Amino acid sequence: MQTQRLFDRIDSIQFRGITKKYGEGFAVKDLDLEIIGGELLILIGPSGSGKTTTLRMINRMIEQDEGSVTINEIDTKNVDPVRLRRNIGYVIQNIGLFPHMTIGENIGLVPKLEKQSKNDIEERVKTLLEFVSLPPEMFMNRYPKQLSGGQQQRVGLARAMAMDPPLFLMDEPFGALDPILRKQLQKEFLKIKNEINRTIVFVTHDIEEALVLGDRIAIMDQGKLVQVGPPEELIFNPENELVADIVDNQRKFKHMDTLKVKDLMSPFEEKYILDLKTQACDAVDEMTNRDLETAFVFDGDELLGQVEIVDLMKCRDREEKLSELAKPIKSFQPTDSVAFALSEMKNSGKYLAIVMNSKKPVGILVSDEVLLKLI
Amino acid sequence: MVVLETVLDATWEHIVLVYTTLFVSIAVSIPLAFGALYSKKLEFIIMKFANLVQAVPSFAVVAIMVPFLGIGFTPALVAIMLRALLPIIKNTYIGLSNVDPALIDYAEGVGLSQWQIHRHIRLPNAYPAMFAGIKFAGILANSIAVLTAFIGSGGLGEIIFQGLIGYNTSTLLAGAIPAIMLAILIDVSFTMLEKKVTPEYSSE
Repeated sequence: MQTQRLFDRIDSIQFRGITKKYGEGFAVKDLDLEIIGGELLILIGPSGSGKTTTLRMINRMIEQDEGSVTINEIDTKNVDPVRLRRNIGYVIQNIGLFPHMTIGENIGLVPKLEKQSKNDIEERVKTLLEFVSLPPEMFMNRYPKQLSGGQQQRVGLARAMAMDPPLFLMDEPFGALDPILRKQLQKEFLKIKNEINRTIVFVTHDIEEALVLGDRIAIMDQGKLVQVGPPEELIFNPENELVADIVDNQRKFKHMDTLKVKDLMSPFEEKYILDLKTQACDAVDEMTNRDLETAFVFDGDELLGQVEIVDLMKCRDREEKLSELAKPIKSFQPTDSVAFALSEMKNSGKYLAIVMNSKKPVGILVSDEVLLKLI
Repeated sequence: MVVLETVLDATWEHIVLVYTTLFVSIAVSIPLAFGALYSKKLEFIIMKFANLVQAVPSFAVVAIMVPFLGIGFTPALVAIMLRALLPIIKNTYIGLSNVDPALIDYAEGVGLSQWQIHRHIRLPNAYPAMFAGIKFAGILANSIAVLTAFIGSGGLGEIIFQGLIGYNTSTLLAGAIPAIMLAILIDVSFTMLEKKVTPEYSSE
């Protein structure tokens, strides 16, 4: 069954007078919202605010009771849902990789159902895996269980791109990941987003994520749209208490000079340490097991540097030990001032630094995270 | 004394009986298990009936065929099927219905039709449970096929009963040993088949 392409690009998506009831209550009430082609629109709000319902009405996973959703002025009601969905990339929190299919089969499933040729599919899978920094020859034939959480989420992203859709729906795609991993995937996602330049609707409950990724942010509460606009507008001109609360809460301005590195660092864990004699390929497996994107290499007590899994994956070409691969990294004392640490990091172009208390690693400093805690 | 040819003939009859029943059972079970996914009522009836039949002693199921269907191959087949059906239906249904809802949700979200979801998601996810059921049903069918010799199905049971009645150990063993070997064969062959269709993902 080959489905025809519905649209090559998104000009706009319009919600007009959308209402969805659940029993007596409203999941979404009288919603008007425009999503502009090419933007990343964040839907955010407390749980039960109707953000996921709104997202799922775009691909007709949920049908509205009243009102219309149009994509490029085509009413979605008049489009076969299967055809509609095959024109939309979909990423969900639990990733939803099919456990009985290899990574390659997972990514190639819809192309296969679209009767694309075996060769085309294989080419596409390879391109996409490379795009999300997973070497195809290493990952294509593995099963999802053999991948770390971060790697699975990358596959989820690659899979959503399989049909090269002009529109992506993402429902808390990084929601299940630990904070540091999350930061790194967000960073990578931003890069990908700028490269593919597609329209993305993104649900999250994490305001930091929203501020980092969103072109515009739509704040929802109790099924209603409270305010929509670019991040700075929400911060400087909040419509009401709730908006001010969401964008501002827990982020009362703190005086930077008085803050120490130890106030803003993430705690260090034993699992971040790798031995310098480890072979690069073994390190990839080890980091996969520990669900790490980045790790620190030590020579006994001596810090050698940092390695990132993305770099190590080229291990097949050369046989190298971590001692040769570790890149230098800034290290700070817990009592250093945050202002000093940040400017040092900025000068060296690093977003990550390690915090050492004499010879003992005690924390990790992530520049974005520090900034967000400060706003 | 039993002639080798008699044993071989009986073994062949036994194999035909067991495998015919097994295939008929699979053919009946899978559509019923899918049906149970759609109708709570059907699910209730199938599960209740299957559980009930399971509770009745095998020999009684075999005996009760005679007044209704007489003797011979067909009544034996029906009797064995009644017992073999349950593990297959039950396991297939459990396998089909125990798929992580997030997977189904995702499959719908990327535009798989209901049929494609059954074919590409539910069925392969049910394979491990299904094969466990089929293997169990096969072993069950093999042992009941011994009993059905009483109602004229032929097979190894006939030789075993001859041996028992005549108190003739060598006759008895000439029937019993192939029956045991068949059971092992069924177990091993289905385990191998299961490994083939359900690759590494099911194990860690």
